[in-house]
Amino acid sequence: MPLKPVSCTQDPLPPASFTPARLLLCHHGTPGAAAAAALALRIAQPGYTDLIHCLVVPDLWGGMQGDDWLNNASTRDAFGDYVEKLLEGDARRELAVVEGEARARGIAWRPLLRYGDPAREVLAVAAAERPDLVVMGPPRRKGESGLRSRLDLEQLVRGLSCPLLIAPRP
Amino acid sequence: MIYTKKSPALLIMGLVVLLWGWLNQSGNLDGVQGWLHTSAYADHVKAQDKYSAEMRAAAEKAAAEGKPAAQLTAPKSKFNDLKAEQANYSFIFGGIATLLGLGVLAWRPREGHLDYYLSIFPGIAYLIFIAFVVRWGLDPLFAGWGKAAEPTLGWDFAKIFNLNYVVLGILIGILIVNVFRIPDWAANGVRTARFFLKTGVILLGTLYSAAELAQLGALSVVMIGVFVLGSVWLVLIMGKRMRAENSMTAVLSAGMGVCGVSATVAASPVVNAKAAEIAYTIGTILVWGVACMFIFPTIGHLLGMGPVQFGAWAGTGILNSAQVAGAALAFDPHGIETLKVAEIFNITRVLFLPLIVLWLAAWYVKHEVGAQRVNLGQVLIAKFPVFVLGFILMFLLSTLGVFSPAGHYQGKYFSADQVKQDKLLGDRDLKALEVEMARLRGPEGTQALADHFIAKAVNIGQRHATAADALQGLQDLIANRKMTSRDQDGVLAATAKLPGLEAGAKGAIEKASKAAWHSSKTIAAFREWLAWLFAVGLIGLGMQITVKALKQAGGKPLIIGGVVGTLKAVGSLIVVLLFVREFI
Repeated sequence: MPLKPVSCTQDPLPPASFTPARLLLCHHGTPGAAAAAALALRIAQPGYTDLIHCLVVPDLWGGMQGDDWLNNASTRDAFGDYVEKLLEGDARRELAVVEGEARARGIAWRPLLRYGDPAREVLAVAAAERPDLVVMGPPRRKGESGLRSRLDLEQLVRGLSCPLLIAPRP
Repeated sequence: MIYTKKSPALLIMGLVVLLWGWLNQSGNLDGVQGWLHTSAYADHVKAQDKYSAEMRAAAEKAAAEGKPAAQLTAPKSKFNDLKAEQANYSFIFGGIATLLGLGVLAWRPREGHLDYYLSIFPGIAYLIFIAFVVRWGLDPLFAGWGKAAEPTLGWDFAKIFNLNYVVLGILIGILIVNVFRIPDWAANGVRTARFFLKTGVILLGTLYSAAELAQLGALSVVMIGVFVLGSVWLVLIMGKRMRAENSMTAVLSAGMGVCGVSATVAASPVVNAKAAEIAYTIGTILVWGVACMFIFPTIGHLLGMGPVQFGAWAGTGILNSAQVAGAALAFDPHGIETLKVAEIFNITRVLFLPLIVLWLAAWYVKHEVGAQRVNLGQVLIAKFPVFVLGFILMFLLSTLGVFSPAGHYQGKYFSADQVKQDKLLGDRDLKALEVEMARLRGPEGTQALADHFIAKAVNIGQRHATAADALQGLQDLIANRKMTSRDQDGVLAATAKLPGLEAGAKGAIEKASKAAWHSSKTIAAFREWLAWLFAVGLIGLGMQITVKALKQAGGKPLIIGGVVGTLKAVGSLIVVLLFVREFI
């Protein structure tokens, strides 16, 4: 029997015991990402926090030409370009939404667009940017719609050297 | 950017294969090869013992008579042939790989075309190396395990699951990309797998007679026409009923209807498919394709289908074109007949592709507000499969007699005196045929034969062959020790599939058929190369199938795909069993 989600508190905000100077918001297009963005924007302090917005395009797209062998190279190139533009467009739209919110609140915002395995890429960004806090959305429940590009939470937690905050399910 | 990766891998592969060749040639691997090829080794040992005994007897007799010892020709041995073949291929491949491997280590690559083109060789060598391991090692190993487990399990798992070099190669490709990852130095070369398959199809053009191509072509146009148009139409209807987006419906109908992933790749930009729609569709098609590659050959064997029926079914019912080739070779790994039929269907599909893309583009523009019109001429030219021209060219050259003696495809060896003495049936073959013929002339045998021929519906002239034709064919075969006509060959090939037919008689029929269909050396070489080209190509294609892509199967595409894919597979099976005759 699936476990029912337990609500820990009425207010999803953690106690504001510290304000991160560098906050890494992880976001790779899942529905929980919006909750993570909202939480990150509430935690970030205008004029103090640098909000680094890391968006990972999952590497499942690398296998999206599958085992096609009948098409000409030009058709495959056209498909590759088309998918690349689609993904870039989707990513830029998602970035723009958070950017708008951050700018409106006067929070310094910086995007980082990466391609690869989500957990590995977040770890790489965290190692390079050295954030004080990482914020991300909750993993999707089984059966929920959307692309299956689950981030390996255990790998991320084992590799991170800073606190990780997971936004509650919206 | 520098593409060539400095790695000793190519050199190591070359040296390992050279060592394998040398060990085979010197006989140091006879123990291993004997373990892998039990039956060929047993025959070899028996023939060698007999030869040694004859030599001894001849020498003793000559010594007693004071004459020089008679020279006896050493018997031909399948075991020796396979060792020699492995040694030859090993020396060729190992030599080239070793030289190139040294070159890669010594050369300082600079940006440019030379660097790009040289960077593909380690990957190609990697695919060929795996093909060697699979074909020379795993294929006989699994065959042996299947036979060894038969007394315990009651069935040969390797045979039932078609665990031959083709299926194992694809599985290893899938395993490598998902578990171990493709090494960086091999990544560029692995992408050339498509080139191997296309070259294989082009070379396949040499193996058809004009009559075969005309009949198979007509059959494929009818089957593909009905099932492609039917599936596209059904997906469009279901998509509308399920309120799927127009772009999703369009891209799914291309994938489900024509040639799977290839059609999805071709149609997506034209119908403005969204990223998630592409992922769902390709995931669904790949899951179906991989499942079908295992299920189809097993069902084909259970139903006793022949090459034409199975090739037609796989060519129509399997969604994805790569798995059509895989399933055909999985069904019939040591012959090319099923592949020949299946590939005609693949070619017909890909010729349909530009037309279907145009249809869907027009459909999308009609149903989607604000959709941009596409340039129809540009789509037709861009999507035309150029490699099909190569196939046609090879077919024309072959028909003109460039590769084979004139009349080769008309069955020259049925009527002329070209069947060599050693290819004629021996006394033991005739004895086996006589015993079986006597049994089949009995009431039970005749009834079984009659039922079998009703089920097989073998065509000779304008009618179906009967049990009487089979008995006449057997009688003629005993009298002539060889096949004398195409009809006789067709009828007896069906007779050989009669359940319960004694193995010796079955072997005799197959031997006579093989002698009649004796190929020119060039054509025989083409057949051998073809098997390698497809094996290497399919290993590489296996490496393009990622679990991450498979996992995307879901949403409405999975429901629609499940319904349409099942209907297509079952519907085409029924049509093939009812209307497609076994021999063309």
